[in-house]
Parts: sequence; structure tokens; C-alpha cells
Amino acid sequence: MRPPSQLRQIAGSLLVALAIAAVAVAVVTAHFGPTSTARLEAREDAIDARVDAREERREAAEDRREEAEERREDGGDNSGPG
Amino acid sequence: MEDLIENLTRGNVTEVKVVLATVVAALAVYQLVLAAVSYGKVRPRFLAAGPATWAHRAVGDTVLVLAVLVAVACVAYYGFEEGGAHAVFGCLVLGALAAKVLAVRIGGSSSPLLPWIGIALFGLLMATWLTSAGDFLGVG
Repeated sequence: MRPPSQLRQIAGSLLVALAIAAVAVAVVTAHFGPTSTARLEAREDAIDARVDAREERREAAEDRREEAEERREDGGDNSGPG
Repeated sequence: MEDLIENLTRGNVTEVKVVLATVVAALAVYQLVLAAVSYGKVRPRFLAAGPATWAHRAVGDTVLVLAVLVAVACVAYYGFEEGGAHAVFGCLVLGALAAKVLAVRIGGSSSPLLPWIGIALFGLLMATWLTSAGDFLGVG
């Protein structure tokens, strides 16, 4: 069998180099998983929303507690000797 | 410069650097094979020394461009301070690359220094990759 022409050998060698580069990119990208900025931003937004919701619930509970304490104090003043 | 790199990589500076460095490392292994064919140490039936030499140069030029891009991104974005062994190996790689280009320009492609500089360059490239990208990927 005749060996391939020089041009074909060069083209083949360069194609192998391209394939090696493509495989390297694919393997490393697969190793990283989803790292797109959009997904990371969406994840950060979700975390921020959870933190905000927790903060709002905490503030609402604090307000209710303060109101209850004020009512109790007001009630205490009324019940004293007049 | 930092902003330019950040914009070009869309905030994924480390990931892009690791991908490019891994491509350089993989192509460096292929370069070793092509050099072995080029010097007649390996004689496959489907690839002669002449085409192997031509491909070795073409792939080498590509590797040079990629390596310089990675080095510029690395120094501009991370600096030298926390580089440690990686920074030292990276500087030596650039030195070896310059020495190889000089050896070809001055001594021609038959320069007896070329194989030794090539082997040193390959070792340094692998050491640089292992102390950064390899470490990041859990290989180093």
C-alpha cells in the first residue's frame, strides 16, 4: 500500500492536533459543569431572595412582639389603683 | 487590563485559563510525538519526517500564541505575589520558548540544541500546568 501524499499527511497531522484540542476543551468543560454567568447570577439572586424573606419574617415577628409588649404595658397601667 | 480580561472571559477567568492551559499541555504531548517522528526516532508508515516537521512547526506556533495569552492573563489578573512555584515555572516556560525560537532563527532547524530545549520546554510546561490547572482539576 502506498503511503499518503505529503499534503495529506500534513492535513492529517493538523486535524489530529485540532481533535486533541477539542477533546481537551470538552473534558475540562465537562469537569467544571454549569459555570455560566447567567446561572451563577440566578443562583445568587435566589440566595438573596431567601435572605430577604428571612429578614422580613424576623422583622415582622419583632414588630408583633413589641406590639404585644406595649399592649401588656398599657393594660398594666389601666389595672392600677386610680 | 483586569477589566478587559474579565469582560473577554465573562467573569470566568480561572476556567478559561484552565481550559487554554490544558489545550497547551495536550498539544505539547502531541508535539513530543511529532518531534520523535521528525527526528526519525519513531517511523510510522502513515507519517514521514518532512510532514511531521511541518506540522510540528504549525502546532508549535499555535501553542506559542496560546501560552503567551495564558501568561498575559495570569500575570495581569493574578500577579506574581501568590504564584509560588507556578510563577517560577511559568517564567521559565516563556524563557525556554524564547530560547527555542532563537535557536531556530540562529542555528536553523538542524541545531543540536533544539531537541534538548524542546524536552526542557515540555517538562516546564507540564510542571506549570500541574501547579495550576492540574491542581485546579485535581490532577496535580
